[in-house]
Amino acid sequence: MSTLLPFHKSILEEIHDPATSDLLILARGLGLRRIICTLMKIYDSNKNLILLVNATQEEESAIGEELGIMGCRRPGLRVIGYETSSKDRQNLYKQGGLMSVTSRILVVDMLQNDIPVHLITGMLILHAERVTPTVIEAFIVRLFREKNRDGFVKAFTDQPEHITSGMSPLKNVMKELQLRRAHLYPRFHEHINKTLERRRADVVELSQPLSQSMSEIHHAIIQCISTTLAELKRSNKELELDDFNVENTYFRSFEGIVRSRLSPVWHKVGPKTKQLINDLNVLRQLLFYLLSYDALSFHAYLETIIESNTISTRTGGPKVHQSPWLLTDAANIIFEVAKRRCFIISSIPKETAVTHQPMEVDDQDAWDLLDELEQPGTNNQGKRKLHERPAWLPKNIQPVLEEQPKWDLLSEILLEIESEIIHLSSNKNTSQRGTDTVLIMTSSTRSCDLIQDFLDTMDPDAESGWKGRVMMRRRLKGYLGWRGRLNPNDNNNFAPTNQAGSAGMTSRKGKEREDNLSEALKKKDREKMEKSASRRRTRGGAPSTGGGRSATSDKASPEVIDVDKPDDMTLWSKDDPDLAATLMNASNDFALDLLTQDEFESSYGLLPPEQTIVIRACSDDTDDRMLAEIQPRFIVMFEPSVEFIRRVEVYRSSYPGMAVRVYHMVYADSCEEHRYLAAIRKEKESFERLVKERGSMLLTLEERRKPGGGGEGENVIRTISTRLAGGRRELTTEPPKIIVDMREFRSALPSLLHAAQLLVVPATLTVGDYILTPDICVERKSLSDLVSSFNSGRLYTQCEFMSVHYKHPVLLIEFEEDKSFSLETISELKNYAKPTQKYPNKPSRPSTFNSLSSEPPSSVTTIQSKLVLLTLSFPRLRTIWSQSPYATAEIFKDLKSNQPEPDPIKAITIGADGDDPNDVGKGFNTVAEELVRALPGIGSGGLASSSGIVNTVMRRCKNVRELCELKEDEVKELVGVGPGKVLYEFLHKGE
Amino acid sequence: MSSARVPPVVVPASGNNIIVNPCQRGNPVLECIRNVGKEFGDIAADYQVGRTTGVLFLSLRYHRLHPEYIHSRVEKLGHSYDHRFLLILCDITEHRDPIRELTKSCLINNITIIVAFSNDEVGHYLSVYKQFESKPPDMIKERVDKDYHAILRGALTNIPKVNKTDVETLRSTFGSFANISRATPNQLRNLPGFGQVKVKNIENAFNKPFRNDT
Repeated sequence: MSTLLPFHKSILEEIHDPATSDLLILARGLGLRRIICTLMKIYDSNKNLILLVNATQEEESAIGEELGIMGCRRPGLRVIGYETSSKDRQNLYKQGGLMSVTSRILVVDMLQNDIPVHLITGMLILHAERVTPTVIEAFIVRLFREKNRDGFVKAFTDQPEHITSGMSPLKNVMKELQLRRAHLYPRFHEHINKTLERRRADVVELSQPLSQSMSEIHHAIIQCISTTLAELKRSNKELELDDFNVENTYFRSFEGIVRSRLSPVWHKVGPKTKQLINDLNVLRQLLFYLLSYDALSFHAYLETIIESNTISTRTGGPKVHQSPWLLTDAANIIFEVAKRRCFIISSIPKETAVTHQPMEVDDQDAWDLLDELEQPGTNNQGKRKLHERPAWLPKNIQPVLEEQPKWDLLSEILLEIESEIIHLSSNKNTSQRGTDTVLIMTSSTRSCDLIQDFLDTMDPDAESGWKGRVMMRRRLKGYLGWRGRLNPNDNNNFAPTNQAGSAGMTSRKGKEREDNLSEALKKKDREKMEKSASRRRTRGGAPSTGGGRSATSDKASPEVIDVDKPDDMTLWSKDDPDLAATLMNASNDFALDLLTQDEFESSYGLLPPEQTIVIRACSDDTDDRMLAEIQPRFIVMFEPSVEFIRRVEVYRSSYPGMAVRVYHMVYADSCEEHRYLAAIRKEKESFERLVKERGSMLLTLEERRKPGGGGEGENVIRTISTRLAGGRRELTTEPPKIIVDMREFRSALPSLLHAAQLLVVPATLTVGDYILTPDICVERKSLSDLVSSFNSGRLYTQCEFMSVHYKHPVLLIEFEEDKSFSLETISELKNYAKPTQKYPNKPSRPSTFNSLSSEPPSSVTTIQSKLVLLTLSFPRLRTIWSQSPYATAEIFKDLKSNQPEPDPIKAITIGADGDDPNDVGKGFNTVAEELVRALPGIGSGGLASSSGIVNTVMRRCKNVRELCELKEDEVKELVGVGPGKVLYEFLHKGE
Repeated sequence: MSSARVPPVVVPASGNNIIVNPCQRGNPVLECIRNVGKEFGDIAADYQVGRTTGVLFLSLRYHRLHPEYIHSRVEKLGHSYDHRFLLILCDITEHRDPIRELTKSCLINNITIIVAFSNDEVGHYLSVYKQFESKPPDMIKERVDKDYHAILRGALTNIPKVNKTDVETLRSTFGSFANISRATPNQLRNLPGFGQVKVKNIENAFNKPFRNDT
């Protein structure tokens, strides 16, 4: 268990009281999870029912583990997701204890009274920064507060940047969660500062310049970004887009800024603008990938981008909206240079006769010369091998395989660390805490894998820029295989004449390529297995460019085993089972790997694991535990991260007496550096704003709502109005009821319906989304849904269903709050819809179209005309036009007055052929369902089939993967012979 | 509602003409009806855009001044026409309440509401109604005759965060849909452009059960 620092303790003292409800905003990396877990441990008891809300899956499992370590084992944190059946859930709730519940499930359970709301002791809500009036968590708190005034709500967030938009963001969050107290703990908080300042980490900042070609690409990408930005500004003149500058585009949040700026007109912006915004996103990723991917992957990604942007040319129709930046000179530079970093394609293969001759003759000589200058004694044998040309390489390709500059730097750092370790361990009298494990932190699991791969195959003898040659070679081989499959029609890059000798690399036969690739993969797997099995590592004490230092380390290396300190050994064996288990886990999950060097293995034998290198990607608060477990003294940060630096600070303060050294690697003058600095600044500013707002905040008292949907007065009025209507129905005191499909709980409407004093009954509906009365069935479509379901044809099917089963099928077109209430208007349409002859089947009117010109020529493309067609096809279909979910709630209420109440059981059975009517509470994997629906042979049937087939498929197969494993006969049996054939062929095409 | 006298169905002189109620004379909307012919005729609705399709037109600004008007028109409409539409021109900012009321009364009277936001759009709707009078709904039906790439893209982009570039990456790396479904998280993670969230979404889509078995 991680120790609590003084500031952790004082925060806990502030918020632990179960009688109060609090909001805690802590700076990232300062151990929010530690606080949450400690709190949960305090509350853990069978007599309490504590709910953890809004945690992601990873957080759930990590918190569960942490609680286990802290001693809450029986039963610890139980996770309730949609896989848990409603019976099990009820039982779990009754048992009490700590539980993490998916928000959607919790809402449904609260509405169905499956959970004893009045018995809930309290709720811990994570990610409070995401709370807005329309999110489901606000709904949960409202339902909770309706029946339970005494329970506590504790909300947590470590992302103050998100609580900055709008007039009084902090107040809104607190209002929705019905909280009265907010605690802010920024990094510059006095208490935190005092604790952490006492022991500052020993940080070595290394700034690595980009290589020539990388900075060229970097520059070109920036240029593309600014061109795209300029284009965006030009096409949206009426908007204030002043803060759209290149610096802002480095951040992921930029897309959010653009969207919020454009949101009032979002439905009106043309596809061109949307394309531009997407482009910015792609470019931002490119910047990031340039720094973190190896040259080959980067080039491959670029090729995929080009491919996906030209794909429709192959199928006939021209690409409508080409990304503008792809056509610029700068883009050309990006593509060319990226390619040149990998290999050079010469049109005429030069040395056709001699295959085993080294290709880069000049280079070779130059390197030899360099070698001789630097280290006369090195054997050139190994290097010769590197420069040798492998047989599989097509002859017209000259490998360049530029390596990332940081890799070199990393190997140097490791050397330095090693000599440091040797120095320390020979110096026996200084008792050192912590292990000699070197921790390398990367920003993503991907670069983590990459570095691991690099270190596995690294040749420390090689010159700088050639150390990862073995890996790059292997990757090049894999790349060539992949390249062949990317675009089978276009093979012009690799001269076909060379195929004979190249082991089918560029051959068109997919099978051979497959073999090759899988061989490469297998080989990689095998290597990995071997490495983790041997768990061995040698000190890379071989002489290198390092000069004098490396010589000493070379001499010292044979002594390494002897020098191992006894106390280290005992420490290890003491924690052995636990630590070994975690380390093994880590090797599965997070690519823990050990370095090997064949020639040294025999002389060294097994080394204790504390002398290994662990490579991990920065994640969330889980890193704290990892630090505590590994207890490294040397940490290399491959990419900068504010969070992780804080974690190291906390870690260092938790273990007084441990000398931690951090190597911090940054590419100089790159977006990486800029992003790092700006992130610090942003967080600070947002905290300052929050502190200011808290100082001047006015909190209103909330009125208390009566449980059960309607208030007293409401019921009276309703009773009277029923009587006035002259209906023969009996007086009813139950509140008006609306049956809502489970899947709709993702949207804001159910929450608002509840707020409008309607009783929301969750159910699994096959037809429609909302059932208002026995006759009225509503299908809700937000604007974007409307467009997409028109395109997919799904809306037609849904309307067909509703028309069959209900007297009044209703299509609800819901616009969004804060956005303007209109469809794309004609006048705006003509700005970007150029007269294309996309629909040549309407030849009778083209002349009038073009001459009158104020109307889009292909009227079929507009959403209005699709709507016209829909209403003409379904004469009974009614529409509701709603400006926002709030307006919808009002309209629903209106429609329900003086109408009989719907029957949930009946509503569920409608359209659900053969489904169990008691399916209430069944979970859904909506994405999987949509995926299946989009497959040919399934969704394409008519009214009778489509939904039926989907259901059959979902009953027969557990998941999509299982569907793919079926034999052709089985598929035919499942969906019918004709569609079955289509489906099977689709699933297995390209194998 | 008293069933009014059903006016004789007016047959337009040309099949391509919209019949306009004389009371609509001077309505700026008329200028915006393009690509179809117009003629005046004595009909119960304001615009007859098909043999059995009648459209009433209402400007919300007018409705605000004469809230009774539309109800009398609806009453006059009686039970004529199979397809009955109320075309609302939303030209005021306080549209929430009137639209709510109209929604309710139209539901009772079997009228479908269409909201337009400019005269141009009203005109567009009217002409499209006429043009589509006898058009089969194929355009909005689910389609089958798409090529492999389009279907694959359509299917896989259902997964959140997966874009067309990713679809291309998946296809070129794994070959077939079935192979993609078998991909392990580690394989996915090593693809360019695939972050943790995307990998997880793909995992969930392929490997999580459709329904929980209770």
